[in-house]
Amino acid sequence: MTSTVPLETGVRRVLLHVGTPKTGTSYLQDVLFRNRDLLREHGILYPADRFDGHFLAALDLMRLTWGGLETEAVGAWDRLAAEVRDWPHTSIISHEILSTASPTQIDRALTSFGDGVEVHLILSVRDLVRQVPAEWQENVKHRSLVSYTHFLEMIRDPARDTRIGSWFWGAQEIPDILDRWGAILPPEQVHLVTVPRPGAAPDELWRRFSGTFGLDGIDLDLTPERANPSLGVPETALLRLINKRVTSVVAPPDYRPLVRELLAHQTLSRRTKSARLGLPPATHEWVQELSRTWADEIQKRGYDVVGDLADLIGQPATTFTDPDTAPASDLLPASLDAIKALLVEGSRLRESEARLVRELDETRVELELARRSPAEKTVQAMQTHRSGRAALTAYRRLRRR
Amino acid sequence: MSVHHTDPSPGADRAWGWVAHLRGGGTTPWHAWAGGAEPTARVLPGAQQLELLRRINIAESSDEPHRGRSHLSTRLADRVVTAAAPGRGKPDLPLVGVGPSAYGPLPVDPSLLPADELIRVATSVLAEDVVALGVPAPARQLPRSWRRDVRVVGNPLEAAHLRAYVVGRRPPSRKRAAVLVVGGPLDQMLADVWSRRCFERGSGAWLEWLRFWQQRGELPPRIDLPAVAARQLESHRGVRVVLDSSALPELLRVRRIRPPTRPGADAAELARRIATVVGLLVPSEVRAALMTETLLPRMPATDTPPVALPDEHRAWVGAAAHRMARQLRCAGYPVVGDPDSVLPLESSGSGASVAQGAASSELVLELAVRMLVDQTWKATKTEGSR
Repeated sequence: MTSTVPLETGVRRVLLHVGTPKTGTSYLQDVLFRNRDLLREHGILYPADRFDGHFLAALDLMRLTWGGLETEAVGAWDRLAAEVRDWPHTSIISHEILSTASPTQIDRALTSFGDGVEVHLILSVRDLVRQVPAEWQENVKHRSLVSYTHFLEMIRDPARDTRIGSWFWGAQEIPDILDRWGAILPPEQVHLVTVPRPGAAPDELWRRFSGTFGLDGIDLDLTPERANPSLGVPETALLRLINKRVTSVVAPPDYRPLVRELLAHQTLSRRTKSARLGLPPATHEWVQELSRTWADEIQKRGYDVVGDLADLIGQPATTFTDPDTAPASDLLPASLDAIKALLVEGSRLRESEARLVRELDETRVELELARRSPAEKTVQAMQTHRSGRAALTAYRRLRRR
Repeated sequence: MSVHHTDPSPGADRAWGWVAHLRGGGTTPWHAWAGGAEPTARVLPGAQQLELLRRINIAESSDEPHRGRSHLSTRLADRVVTAAAPGRGKPDLPLVGVGPSAYGPLPVDPSLLPADELIRVATSVLAEDVVALGVPAPARQLPRSWRRDVRVVGNPLEAAHLRAYVVGRRPPSRKRAAVLVVGGPLDQMLADVWSRRCFERGSGAWLEWLRFWQQRGELPPRIDLPAVAARQLESHRGVRVVLDSSALPELLRVRRIRPPTRPGADAAELARRIATVVGLLVPSEVRAALMTETLLPRMPATDTPPVALPDEHRAWVGAAAHRMARQLRCAGYPVVGDPDSVLPLESSGSGASVAQGAASSELVLELAVRMLVDQTWKATKTEGSR
């Protein structure tokens, strides 16, 4: 595939990938991060010193809190922008939560790259048939207690008064994201990468990304190491029930490693044979109609489309498994896997605690030894030898006298 | 960067006219505004930012007769209209009537926006103010070595207040120092520890925070007095729990001790929200210092009472207090005062201004606007030695 972003040298260029969520962004960011040295040799800067560097920069830009992670984000956007300004060739910035940025924040971001830079906006998009259930799952993986039915009601409310509705459309309404991010860019500098329909070749999305970002011909390590895996219906239903029990007693900094990472990503996502979440039949028409409107609108605007706008018109599955009414028997196997994972983690932590206690005790002993007075040190040293003990005995007899 | 210009949407000139009106100190609401103006920036500010500026202008004009916009006010206006609304609330909202858009959030009449949305913008500006003030240098104290080494722990609000009376003494060494674990009625200690947290690293909202401890079946570590005393006994000899504040002057060997100032529910809630934004601007350790040493002493006083325990929490707090009293009665260390002093006070102390024990958003917004308009709070000196 040929590059859709012109890559002639001598031009400072920023490829700004702002989402949307659940469009293969974690994989893309992982590949870019792990290959950043190689990319640099090819004149492409991926300015990050940790895999979630651009996530932190986005939090900083948007002043978003994220379960305590935001405290690691102080000044991250300015540092990122400074690296971009100093790089004479192409820089890539990628994070999906940037899709929700406000016009003022976008203005600040674009200004921060300095003068004389050519900004290309890249938006990867997927059909709503897959995005709606995926967004609900993401909510559940972020402590939400909301049922799928209620979630659908909230996102269908035109007022978008709820936090969920407001965030969903901020991250998913493609024409609005393009209005916000692309308002001051010529249409040829706005690139829309569509996620292929189910059944496409497994590497098709990467081919689209690679062409758009100008990565073709670079021998990148594409081994998948980090992804944001999806859950099945009973697994998501179980996670929501767990949330009901734990969100009021487990603080966000503990929830993230224990529930989101250990339970959801490392345990429940491995259960790949369970039913996948889709759209309830009552929403099919609404979603199809909305998707067609968006595709028409994008067509009219003349953006560079990588893939096919028809990819945006998803095909709902003919069967639907409702996660809100998942029977206990369906939840049981997943529950047992969850208990097992937590017990293994508990054992590991106990082992770690015992090791720390041992280390602490040893340190205390060493501290006490170091704190001894010269007299104590002398007495203890004398007690280790026969002659010393005899001398001590004589000294004590003398003192008593 | 190169900019691609597009035609302004219909109604945009009216919006830019309103922006200019507000930046000049105007107070006309959007629905009554009719003038127009050229754009002065690439992006039209959101309805939240503009409405907050209008509220500031109203407060400013009622504060003193309007004599034209001062340099400071113009700078403030610029900061408000470009301020990011932090956190996951609504996005910047478009003004109703500016132009037809089939996409994005619904346009709004800014005068109908809930107070919470305006507070979000206000905390962004106030947090920047707090960061700009910086952490004060520690006050220099002459050593007063004739006083006893003492370490004060327990209820953090009282402990922090009492520590000011022991400033200048030798740093308490392990084992030799006397330890006073200060406490009082459990409902007040809960309110105190939450209020203090608001001025440290932030917290969940009052009711959400209470529910967290209720569901865990625990007490916040700093006010679980028997546990605090047990921890101190591991490394100190003279540990005593002090529940009778009248005994404190003698224990600290000072003539008298003023009661601590308890932040009103509105001040604590505003501080809580400011702390969240300060945490986005500076490293965590600096945030705590800024909140405690810079903002707390400067926070304007209000008539609002501190947060109070809502009725639905009285049962578990009462049970926890009885348990604590029993433990203190059987403890092997001295307890100054009646162990039953930890039982909750009968009256909740909440008035109409603190329904459900917490401050209303309107009160919090009022205080935020007051701090943006009357910036004398920034000049307030930090508390020194007594």
